[in-house]
Amino acid sequence: MNEQYKVKRFIIDNYIFEEEPEIIDDNDSFLEKGIIDSTGVMELIMFVEETYEIEVDDEEIIPENFDSVNKLCNYIKVKLESKIPK
Amino acid sequence: MNTVRHSLKINCVAESGKICNFIRGQVLSRYKRKGAVVGLSGGIDSAVTASLCVRALGKERVLGLILPEKESNPISKELGIACAERLGIDFEVVDITPQLEAFDLYKNRGRIIREIFPEFNDSCKFKVSIPQDLLDRDRYNFRIFTIKLPNGELKEKRLSINDWLQISAAQNIKQRIRMINLYYYAEKSNYLVAGTTNRTELLLGFYVKYGDGGVDIEPISHLYKMQVYDLANEFEIPAGIIDRLPSPDTYSLAVSDQEFFFCIPYDVLDLLLYAWENNISIEQLSLDMNLSLEQIKRAFRDFESKKNSSWHLRELPPGISG
Repeated sequence: MNEQYKVKRFIIDNYIFEEEPEIIDDNDSFLEKGIIDSTGVMELIMFVEETYEIEVDDEEIIPENFDSVNKLCNYIKVKLESKIPK
Repeated sequence: MNTVRHSLKINCVAESGKICNFIRGQVLSRYKRKGAVVGLSGGIDSAVTASLCVRALGKERVLGLILPEKESNPISKELGIACAERLGIDFEVVDITPQLEAFDLYKNRGRIIREIFPEFNDSCKFKVSIPQDLLDRDRYNFRIFTIKLPNGELKEKRLSINDWLQISAAQNIKQRIRMINLYYYAEKSNYLVAGTTNRTELLLGFYVKYGDGGVDIEPISHLYKMQVYDLANEFEIPAGIIDRLPSPDTYSLAVSDQEFFFCIPYDVLDLLLYAWENNISIEQLSLDMNLSLEQIKRAFRDFESKKNSSWHLRELPPGISG
């Protein structure tokens, strides 16, 4: 399962309750579209930490990392890459 | 002149008269009750509400209820009593600690906290706050849990959503138990419960559903916090109450309203909130308040987010009509 789909599935299953993944665009702002509230953002952090076994730093809890499917996937990618020993 | 600040100015005499008419109309004509019960927290909102009720109904028709528990700041009870004595109203002090113990509140909450900080014990104090840099950078609100060990050492961690939900649900029992006590005293005297929520709290959802939000009337819910302070000057409210930093006073370690929820001092918050509600141009606001456009936009985004996540507090439970 690719990350884009996994993240989108989590958003849809937990906040939208619709079957069709097309219901949100990968660039839609979660907050502006009213998809996720502040509690939802905290849930999203837990999802990321538990699913990908990465630690989200306080400074990283910003819209640039968490406010759309694409932003979140990009954030996860960067975090996972930083885990790989060079 | 600062146009927003000017718009928030109230004529205290006229405002007080309007609210007193409202209280009389509701208590006597609409609810057909003999008086009003006000929970006196030792804060400015309850002091002003009680003063308004006394002015509207007479001191013999107002009962003050002071509801401390073992984690309340001791000054809250003292100031609540001082307020009731200054107003000359009957009052009762009910320590709600045994009621909260019957709920296993302290025990269950301690168990949750020890999962976060294993060294936590009954001698420790704790609080929840959120980052205070709202105006300085784009970020989301998250909760920071702080404990103070008996040796004075402070430790803090970001709360996970599950821990926050459990702690918040436990803490909210305090306001809900207070609501039950207020209604017990009100109903046995054929009084109603007068709430103390102000407009700043109402708009952003800073109160507990069926807790401090569980009341019959809200005499000051149209006034921003700074307007409540203005009105306080109309009444003989003890200086200790006016000078005190507003706090939820439900955590054993002191935390202000600003640290716990708003992130902005009330004197700035109310101006921004008024501008946001009334669609005042952010360019004008930027000039008036000496804030950058970005700072104002961040505040407005936070207001929108808090308003959206608290909509259910301001509505009756939805049902199917027809």
